[in-house]
Amino acid sequence: MAETRTMTPKERVLKLFAGEKVDRPPCFSGMGNATTDGLQRLGYKFAALHSNAKMMADVAAATYKLTGFECGVVPFDLCVEAEALGCEINVYAHLDDILYPTIKKKIIHNEEEMGISIPRDFTRRGRIPLVKEAIGLLKADIGNDVAVGTYVLGPFTLAGQIMELNDLLKLSFKKPEKVGNLLDILADAIVLCAREFEEAGADYITVREMGATSDVLSPRVFKNLILPYLKKIFSQLRTNTVLHICGKTNDIAPFMVESGASAISVDQKNDVAETRKKIDKALLFGNYDPYNVLVAGSEANVRQVIRKCLDDGVDAVWPGCDIWPTVPVENIKAMMDEVYNYRRPVPNKEEIKK
Amino acid sequence: MITDEKRQELLDRLRNSVIQYDEDGAKEASNEVVELGMDANDAIFNGLVSGMEEVGRLFEAQEYFVPELLMSADALYAGLDILKPHVKQLDLGVKGSVVIGTVEGDVHDIGKNIVKMMFDVAGFTVYDLGRDVPLDKFVEEQLKTDSDLVCLSAMMTTTMVGMKKVIDDLRAKNPNVKIMIGGAPVSSDIAGKWGADGYAKDANNALKDAINMVSSLKKMKEEAEARKKG
Ligand code: B12
Repeated sequence: MAETRTMTPKERVLKLFAGEKVDRPPCFSGMGNATTDGLQRLGYKFAALHSNAKMMADVAAATYKLTGFECGVVPFDLCVEAEALGCEINVYAHLDDILYPTIKKKIIHNEEEMGISIPRDFTRRGRIPLVKEAIGLLKADIGNDVAVGTYVLGPFTLAGQIMELNDLLKLSFKKPEKVGNLLDILADAIVLCAREFEEAGADYITVREMGATSDVLSPRVFKNLILPYLKKIFSQLRTNTVLHICGKTNDIAPFMVESGASAISVDQKNDVAETRKKIDKALLFGNYDPYNVLVAGSEANVRQVIRKCLDDGVDAVWPGCDIWPTVPVENIKAMMDEVYNYRRPVPNKEEIKK
Repeated sequence: MITDEKRQELLDRLRNSVIQYDEDGAKEASNEVVELGMDANDAIFNGLVSGMEEVGRLFEAQEYFVPELLMSADALYAGLDILKPHVKQLDLGVKGSVVIGTVEGDVHDIGKNIVKMMFDVAGFTVYDLGRDVPLDKFVEEQLKTDSDLVCLSAMMTTTMVGMKKVIDDLRAKNPNVKIMIGGAPVSSDIAGKWGADGYAKDANNALKDAINMVSSLKKMKEEAEARKKG
């Protein structure tokens, strides 16, 4: 059955962020969702998208146009801020396979080099202007129908892009003040970058702090060392914001809410029903597995997982990470259909009495 | 000869230095081992490695996280550096050399580094190619070093498929080499289908497997020693 409601996907997302009532949870994402179907129709190579604003925007819009997925999101890689800070990146232009850009040359090589400063023309460097332009193009294309989103890295994840992650992890323990100073500088850079994206008209910005997952770092270090700088970032952004962390997040979910983000986003490793109890009414987005379910799963599997997300109480159906380009369009459609037709189970009388 | 008491004290200090990621402590205890002429093999396996086994357990129990693991490894390496020159040639029956790396297009190397560390501990010669390694490089390096084992890591479904190419290529050029693969999207099914010899499921299991290797090495060593004595 097709969608029968009258709220546009954009209104729904904006109202949700504003804390107003919505007719149903939206189904969207704050992370990349390029599809090979979109790429094929447009005749673009994945490697070419990262340095061309129009191609970037076209592919982002194609996902909505092909499947009804309720957003447009640019960019697709995690190297934008690091590149503007002086790192060299690799987009694998020589390969036809879909490979995501990586950092080829870092700018901090040892502890002594951690006292970096933000280049004066930071927001005009690297691809920050290009992503800004892509946001504008995307707004012009589908911005009346759906919310347009973008993302920046969290300070710890960005630190891991510009210096050796092993060193960063060890120093978080041995010299937390030194790491704190770096995160403080990076928080400023992230705000500068996010401001540009706000100016371009982004309806919401996701801060991706996947490097600080409890798969890698203890909740204690997260709270003491990273949370303060996330707070610093969110307190300075004006648009709607989402804090995304993948992997194990059950123990840090309350801290994620404390960061001041408008909503938090978790992946399939989070027990959402449990988290809901801990964070009360805070907006919680999640938490289907974007690869094993949406790409590799059957339609029936997709439907079942999406129903479970909704039963568990997510405020928006949203993936655990970037959606993998090889995703079958049919699976996204099945997901949308499930969201359109979902009815929350009516609680039985005893539960109402409680 | 040193007393049993002194030996035990040094083993405890080595072990605890690793657990408490105390590099200086590991160095001091190791230097004392050398000065007193205590058996370096004993110090490595019953001191340092025993500490690392405990660290593995703490990691599994989520009392330790990746930074603690890396710092413990540093303490262990600090001790190893001092003790290794004093190790009498081990007759383990294992040549023990391994080529390891994360495949092209993939920068996720935290897991790979942990696996690598365990091989170092086990006394393997490790050729670490790093991350984002061009696929041909694995084959090239294996042929160049004549290593027994090639370990491939991938954390993404898109880069994981590169492993198959490496496996096919290696098999064609060198049918005897052992191949082990791992990383979050990999499964034992995939390892079987693609013809890899070994696989470790997730963070905990990889660690366990690596520790098992260390333990079996230890056992082999003990057996070899028992044979010598007997
Ligand atoms: C940290 C992280 C990053 C860091 C990596 C830093 C680094 N130097 O490693 C950064 C921020 C750079 C990053 C980037 C990206 N990431 Co990332 N990242 C993660 C994260 C959060 C943790 C991975 C990790 O280190 N785990 C901890 C270690 C200890 O575990 P492990 O790696 O599994 O290793 C153990 C076992 O697997 C095993 N093992 C590993 N290798 C081997 C090898 C052998 C031989 C054996 C036997 C065993 C073995 O033993 C290890 C030790 O116990 C995961 C999500 C998650 N929670 O897993 C996503 C994740 C891997 N990333 C993902 C994605 C999508 C990306 C990006 C593409 C995002 C983007 N849009 O650009 C980029 C990729 C860039 C590139 N081309 O490589 C996805 C991959 C999806 C998929 N199924 O393919 C994941 C799964 C997130 C998700 N929930 O979907 N990421």
